[in-house]
Amino acid sequence: MNKPPDIEHVATYCYQCVAGPDLLTVKVVDGIATEVEPNFAAADVHPGGGKVCVKAYGLVQKTYNPNRIRTPMKRTNPKKGRGEDPGFVPISWDDALDTIAARLNEVRAAGLTDPSGYPRLAVSLGGAGTPQSYMGTFPAFLAAWGAVDMGFGSGQGVKCYHSEHLYGEFWHRAFTVSPDTPRTEYLISCGANVEASGGVVGVWRHANARIRGMKRVQVEPHLSVTGACSAEWVPIKPKTDAAFLFALVHMLLHAFPRERLDVPFLTKHTSSPYLVGPHGYYLRDRATRKPLVRDTIRGAAVPHDTPGIAEALEGRFDADAVEIGPDDEVLAEGVLAGETAFSKLVAHMAPYSPEWAAPICDVAAQTMRRIAGEFIDHAHVGETIEIEGKRLPYRPVAVSLGKTVNNGWGGFETVWARTMLAALVGGLEVPGGTLGTTVRLNRQVPARVDSVLTGPDGFMEYPLNPTDKAHWSPNPNIRNAYRTMVPLAANGPWSQALGPTHFSWMFLDETPKGLPRVTLPDVWFVYRTNPAISFWDTKGVGDKMARFPFMVAFAYTQDETNHHADILLPEATDLESLQLIRIGGSKFVEQFWDCTGFALRQPAVATQGDARDFTAIATELASRTGLLEKYNASINKGAAGVPLKGPHWDVALPPDKPHPPEAIWDAVCRAASAELTDGRESNGLDWWRKHGLATRPFPRTKWYLYPTLVEKGLRFELPYQERLLRIGTELGRRLHEHDMHWWDKQLPEYQALPKCKDFGLPWIASLEKAGGKAEDYPFWLLTARSMQYAWGANVGMQLIKEVADNVKGHRGVIINASAATRLGIRDGDQVEIGTPQHKVRGRAVLRQGIRPDTLLLIGQFDHWVTPFTKGFGMPSMNSLAEMSMDLTDATGSSADIVRVSIAPAGSAMKGGTA
Amino acid sequence: MTYPAKGYGTYGPDPWNQTSWDARAAGNFVCGGAGAGLIVFAVLGGMGGGYVGWLILAGLVLVGLGLFCVSLELGRPLRALNVIRNPRTSWMAREAWVAGLLFPAGIAAALAFPGAMWAAALLALAFVYCQARLLQGAKGIPAWREPLLIPLVVVTGLVEGGGIFIASIPLHRTASLALLTLFGVLIIVRMGVWLAYRRRLAGVVADGARAALDGAGIVLLVLGTALPLCLIALMASMVLSVEALMTLCLLTGLTATLAGSWLKFVLVTRAGFNQGFAIPQLPVRGAAR
Amino acid sequence: MTRWAMVADLRRCVGCQTCTAACRHANATPPGVQWRRVLDVEQGEYPDVQRAFVPVGCMHCADPPCMDVCPTTATRKRADGIVTIDYDLCIGCAYCAVACPYQARYKTMRPVFAYGEAMANETKRRDDSRLAVATKCTFCVDRIDAGLANGQTPGVDPEATPACVNACITQTLQFGDLDDPQSNVSRLIAENRHFRMHEELGTDPGFYYLWDAAATAPASD
Repeated sequence: MNKPPDIEHVATYCYQCVAGPDLLTVKVVDGIATEVEPNFAAADVHPGGGKVCVKAYGLVQKTYNPNRIRTPMKRTNPKKGRGEDPGFVPISWDDALDTIAARLNEVRAAGLTDPSGYPRLAVSLGGAGTPQSYMGTFPAFLAAWGAVDMGFGSGQGVKCYHSEHLYGEFWHRAFTVSPDTPRTEYLISCGANVEASGGVVGVWRHANARIRGMKRVQVEPHLSVTGACSAEWVPIKPKTDAAFLFALVHMLLHAFPRERLDVPFLTKHTSSPYLVGPHGYYLRDRATRKPLVRDTIRGAAVPHDTPGIAEALEGRFDADAVEIGPDDEVLAEGVLAGETAFSKLVAHMAPYSPEWAAPICDVAAQTMRRIAGEFIDHAHVGETIEIEGKRLPYRPVAVSLGKTVNNGWGGFETVWARTMLAALVGGLEVPGGTLGTTVRLNRQVPARVDSVLTGPDGFMEYPLNPTDKAHWSPNPNIRNAYRTMVPLAANGPWSQALGPTHFSWMFLDETPKGLPRVTLPDVWFVYRTNPAISFWDTKGVGDKMARFPFMVAFAYTQDETNHHADILLPEATDLESLQLIRIGGSKFVEQFWDCTGFALRQPAVATQGDARDFTAIATELASRTGLLEKYNASINKGAAGVPLKGPHWDVALPPDKPHPPEAIWDAVCRAASAELTDGRESNGLDWWRKHGLATRPFPRTKWYLYPTLVEKGLRFELPYQERLLRIGTELGRRLHEHDMHWWDKQLPEYQALPKCKDFGLPWIASLEKAGGKAEDYPFWLLTARSMQYAWGANVGMQLIKEVADNVKGHRGVIINASAATRLGIRDGDQVEIGTPQHKVRGRAVLRQGIRPDTLLLIGQFDHWVTPFTKGFGMPSMNSLAEMSMDLTDATGSSADIVRVSIAPAGSAMKGGTA
Repeated sequence: MTYPAKGYGTYGPDPWNQTSWDARAAGNFVCGGAGAGLIVFAVLGGMGGGYVGWLILAGLVLVGLGLFCVSLELGRPLRALNVIRNPRTSWMAREAWVAGLLFPAGIAAALAFPGAMWAAALLALAFVYCQARLLQGAKGIPAWREPLLIPLVVVTGLVEGGGIFIASIPLHRTASLALLTLFGVLIIVRMGVWLAYRRRLAGVVADGARAALDGAGIVLLVLGTALPLCLIALMASMVLSVEALMTLCLLTGLTATLAGSWLKFVLVTRAGFNQGFAIPQLPVRGAAR
Repeated sequence: MTRWAMVADLRRCVGCQTCTAACRHANATPPGVQWRRVLDVEQGEYPDVQRAFVPVGCMHCADPPCMDVCPTTATRKRADGIVTIDYDLCIGCAYCAVACPYQARYKTMRPVFAYGEAMANETKRRDDSRLAVATKCTFCVDRIDAGLANGQTPGVDPEATPACVNACITQTLQFGDLDDPQSNVSRLIAENRHFRMHEELGTDPGFYYLWDAAATAPASD
């Protein structure tokens, strides 16, 4: 008689990609994980019905994958490189930790920074912050340690939404930007592939929006999953979205009566009425140095925050003022000629008509005219809506941008034009409109609207890195020099990964003049990231990695990066380990919740092999390096997500002894519980294991920044970027004072009103510099997101490969069918994609839904070590793309785009015509 | 572990060649049809008085070979007897029942039981008819579900069996102008049915199926129709020696048979493209295009 | 009476394959056997191209060709419309597989595992009665029957609902009783324009695809 199976449903979360976190349950039968299911108990609070996306269904295989590293391993072959077999042999945890601790202690003895001033310890984490939800208390160890260089990137800061991150946060606390999807009526999406990258909540909301009748116009060179699910597809030429959006801004300013725009919003809530002086800087009150506006009631210029005025939106007005330039220089004083920022904008945008844009972006002028009309028609300027008893403007139009559009050259211009489109109709940070989601660069508080502090000139405070003579330094704190080179990258806990993370790699062999020589780190930790695959110049990155003296990889399976490691540590994976994280409020991508709280990730099954919980590993490292007290103190202060001592609770851990993971997370649970209930409850781990999550309401009004700005009497710093012009000029001066001229191409990006240029040109110039001719490399190669794979920790999952293959493009390079036929390429043929320096091979996938001059490679493959994956035969753009200063913009980012040729494999053809 | 070389994503929406039935299933139709046709021709030939029992037995062997062949494709051959459970609607079940009667009838005919020959001939006709209905019942395969497939499979089965009969005339020496004429007529009918069937399929089957069928169609035309007809005409001209006639019988029978066998083989293993998937309406995403 | 049916709102589907994966989990099907899968369909010629994602699988037809052709009665249709396979009767002839116009049936001759040797979860779920016989989507009939026994409503209560429907992150898939005019599926069909796959073949499938709101339907929120 068979005993009935013991069945448990274990609640946990998935945060494998930035669109999370989402909630799930794992069905465990007799101790074996068998199925992943939604967490329906969370359906009421999770904006995606308590569900998880396809990736989470790979977690069962992830747990039992026979290719897992199951014990610590050490390298026996001292030579490192692609062709070298590492010779990993199993060792005990004690041996592994002793070896690592010995190295770490050497570092502490020598000093945390090396003679160049860079931290000797480097740590690379992937996934745009998501590893933090899986690495337990490791952040506490890093905090206890001191100086760490987290800038050896795997793509972060350069391949992401970088310009949107920096300028978005600067203008409206928008590290990423989302439409107010539940209310938006009309959405212009330039390359934002939300149906692939938006996660559960993103696709849930957009599906509902479609049924409700929201019209999305997808402006993108290929018919992505998102383009497919849109009402209209505009096949724009790659890297010309700035021209497209400039034309729309032009239309709003020049083709419609002014009253169609949200004049009150512009006048009262932006710096549009600020008077700009003859040198391009604001005219300021001579006593208070506040920017001046023209009050039409008094008929005089007054400081912008004078109560009871009616600012003139447009016009030229003289004022008795002072114009202050960079470095606090007085550029002019007295009765000065001023023009409102808005008038300057109108004049600036005059040349950028749809007829101008049409040949640049290969979109018919009539299409742009129509879209501009639809946008303004749907904006409902003047209407209001009630949200939780508050009356707010209702502007159901939005513009979203995707990767390669909002990063690299042209990213600034594109993000500015998008934000301007929103602002012109008053649709910035209001119901229905274009919203920010969360902050990463400003101070880290749970709700982004609470991060707003009053800054200068009536704008929000922003923690810019200094550019003044007294505080700017050519001695950066880490190798990617973000604090020195990128004022907008701020200096918060996340800034390291938002600097130019390719610089760390590039400067290793050629540090530009003025920066301390970039050195190899003594010790390098790597977790949930595979830079040897996911960054450009994969060969170069691999070669450099091979020279790192001591690398510790938290290894899931062998991969292309830990191929160069000295020690492999198997950490307990997603379904095997313990952690509590914050959920709710508003988070990246489209996660807008009506509540906020915490969710637990708990072991659904016993750890496989000899893997250990990351928290246990972190505690061991702290103990062995004399940092235990600091480590515990850091946990007590909140490094595990919640301070263990708060206004209504004190569950702080005794700092002098090591605590097992259960004890630590039990304390965190109690603290979280107390924070949520203002001290009424203090539920520990047992309660959280059973319930999985707990929340309290989050006001919907906090989705929108506008009310906070109104409350604080602040304005959106738009359209005129006087502050950026100032800091950019100052930065230029500082660099030149130190004879640093290698950033001169980037400095002109700091403009008060950006000019639109041909933003594809740098890539053509780069091609020509490498000895190629544009007509021989006529295709633009792009990448796109795969929901099934995104964030790579599951490239080795058989189930993921299997289901992803149902979606076209996962097995080769997508090429327009006519273009392919002209080149003699048939569906399934082996083809070679090349630049002057590199060639990759793959299969051709012929489709109609792509421009004839464009190729598409989904994801980032080309693996040569990762089991199961290495035989995919799927090439990667990263093997073709260079890391280049020429291709880096002022925010330190570049973009995933390369000019290539394509031909049948083995043929003599170099490329042919597009 | 490697995954399938063609990847997992080869299941639509465009039609693809079915992977359920391969040469083993084709063997059933090839051998079964030919065997049944042989029994019919043997019985007709036996009307002239000669002993045709061996031919009938040979026909049974072919039928049995076909059934054995397809049994190799069964997932659970030990349960093969379950095949008879659904004669109410399933032509495969009916085929099994008819086979179950055909064998004793054929053996009885070989043992010269009175009336058994006619029973055997009728059951053989019923058997090839069941096979035709069986194949046509595969609603998932456009090239098979076309109703004209039924007469095509029946007539080609008769031709193939007849072809074996004709080809083996040197051995059994049972021949007549009437049978030769019948054989010739059946060859012509086969071509006619094939052309009608092929025309019905235009625009309905996938390119891969069309190409495969057309290839087999050319073989049928040249090797399976024109050549045997010419040879028959030559034989009917009465100008040849007996040895020459025997050789021509062999050639005539073989060509007509092999062309038909090839057609059925291609039909099952290469022209079995499914319908794939198609949607008559594209969804409206928020607003009509 | 009851007729269980599936509705897929093609306006919602993004082709993410979450349902494909969830089905693999719930039914422990071997690698490559996707009782539920989502197709990536492209129509038109550049630049007038459209692309749609179409969930497919067994349509649980009211007039199932597979049932007629099955020689062993292994394939049957329940009174509530669910087309079932009795694995113990099936001889694995695959006649049903070629009879099905929806390519919904599979036959796996030998055990296949994701990485060659069986992982713990594969061993746990191993069911050799499903080897070498026909298999297909069952509308998660065990969940439906267990749910009904517990007084739950399939398509409404998750424990009584097919795994694919539960997993769908765009609410594309809905499941319910077509014979109940007030059920979720009945209302969706009434309020929206729909079609069924290969409808001209007369199989009367129990799988409806929505593509637009009905002209007279009120706008829903």
